[in-house]
Amino acid sequence: MKKFLLVFLTVLFLGVPIVTAQQLALSVSIPLLEITIKPGKSVLIAYTVGNNGDPTALRARILPFRPKDNHGNIVIEDEFSGPIRFSLDNADIQLDQPFFAKTKDSQQLLLRIRVPEGAPEGDYYYTFLTESLPSPGTEGSTSSQAQGSIGTNLLITVTNSGRVDIKGKVSNFELLKGFTMNFFGKRVRILDSSDKIPIVLEVENEGRNLIKPDGDIVLKGNFGEQAKYALLQQNILAQSKRILTATPSAEIPDSVKQPVTLVLSGFFLGGYSLSANISFGEGAPNIFAQTSFIALPFKFIFGFIFVLFVVIYLFKRLQKDN
Amino acid sequence: MKKAKIFVFTLLATCYMLNASYARADNYESERYRIQYGAVNIGGENSLMSGGYNLSVSLGQNAAGEFQSSGYVVKAGFQYLHSIIPFRFTISNTNMNFGTILPQVPATQQTVLTISSGGAGGYQVTAQEATPLKTLAAVTIPDTVCNEGSNSCTEGAAGVWNRKDSYGFGYNMTGDDIPSDFKNNNYYRPFPDASTKETAENIMTNENVGKNRQATVTFKVNISPIQAAGSYQTIVKFIATPGY
Repeated sequence: MKKFLLVFLTVLFLGVPIVTAQQLALSVSIPLLEITIKPGKSVLIAYTVGNNGDPTALRARILPFRPKDNHGNIVIEDEFSGPIRFSLDNADIQLDQPFFAKTKDSQQLLLRIRVPEGAPEGDYYYTFLTESLPSPGTEGSTSSQAQGSIGTNLLITVTNSGRVDIKGKVSNFELLKGFTMNFFGKRVRILDSSDKIPIVLEVENEGRNLIKPDGDIVLKGNFGEQAKYALLQQNILAQSKRILTATPSAEIPDSVKQPVTLVLSGFFLGGYSLSANISFGEGAPNIFAQTSFIALPFKFIFGFIFVLFVVIYLFKRLQKDN
Repeated sequence: MKKAKIFVFTLLATCYMLNASYARADNYESERYRIQYGAVNIGGENSLMSGGYNLSVSLGQNAAGEFQSSGYVVKAGFQYLHSIIPFRFTISNTNMNFGTILPQVPATQQTVLTISSGGAGGYQVTAQEATPLKTLAAVTIPDTVCNEGSNSCTEGAAGVWNRKDSYGFGYNMTGDDIPSDFKNNNYYRPFPDASTKETAENIMTNENVGKNRQATVTFKVNISPIQAAGSYQTIVKFIATPGY
């Protein structure tokens, strides 16, 4: 009994830690870096990687990426390519070499980005990854080790003159709701007055450098009412498309499975026009796209007729009973 | 008079049943973004704070002038958005130990992925296995094809996997921002295999700012009675990147 009490008190006072699963929790800043740079120049960027999980071995790497789709997703390549040269200016840490990160510790990584003389003009896209080194699997049992990486993207434009190639166009501007019909030779989209209206605005970059469209979507009604929705400035990488995002927007309905630019909500009645006005900065031509729709209260009318029939039926039956 | 009463009553009843709401303007403030003033290049910070105000400052010069003088322009972060959520990625458990697996008795292990992203372009998390589960002698447990037939699955499309005689290694997802083909707990996909140059698949993605977005990954192994005994291992790589 004395032994048991001794063990109990020892455990109580020493506070034996609870055995928990190995947790990985990483943070990184800066989340995005955009550089316009001349060949022959170099810049030094300070990143901070934080570890809020268990102590772990980490490794910093740079890999190129390319756009995957028009939603802003990327594919990170397996191997390094391109003319840009990267290195770490830290005294004790190098790229592709492991370093140790304690719990609640943060490590500054000084990334040197150098563009060699004669590097071809154009855009180069990379992801700066900090990845955990997986621990060896459990001997004698089947297991899968999770390796976690946190990345931050670098968008590098190499130019001798500072001029960039801006070639943007609206590749899609449409409503994802309602039905279309020909009305006096003109295609008209018709939808219900109470519908939430998802809108897609996709811009294509046909140039050699990334573009950052600015502008807005304007909704005009037939009674002169007007609403303006500002487009968020998001990068569209060279030779790619992207669906832009406007704000403010209503919540996206569950029925809409694809990313959209804007969702309009409210009670619409009559004809409306939607126009997108996009600029790419000083000296670049603005682009413009327009679409329209007609909103009619179908649900209200059908509901009204239904309720009218029910009321008349009940009223007549009541009269008959009396 | 009676007809008028019927009309008014019908109109009111219709309005009530359809729950018609007033047309209303959208909120012009967003919890996700605060628009900053234009020409931020480098050095923006939030250090000037007091009880009464919180001032964000921006330093730097216009791009053209800076490029001509120094040969480069650096824009760090999301210049026109004031992000208050840092980019964070957490894996709750990095060791999925299935122990000793018995034939036709599916074994599962779970880990929770958590993402906080304050950037304008949202985020993505991809998954990819280094190899299929294999022993040191290179005996493998194949990646699952789910129940096969109409319920077969691929790296990019989940399928139902609940038959005890369908063998392999795969994963299911539940939670925030996951692919829509994971309809319920019975839907699985195989991991893309890096050793055969298969591209990593997106398993969480969102184009918007988000804090503590969580998804549970369930790893599942089911082996056939003729599967060779051994210690099968693999590494599954999860990469979280903010949008651009």
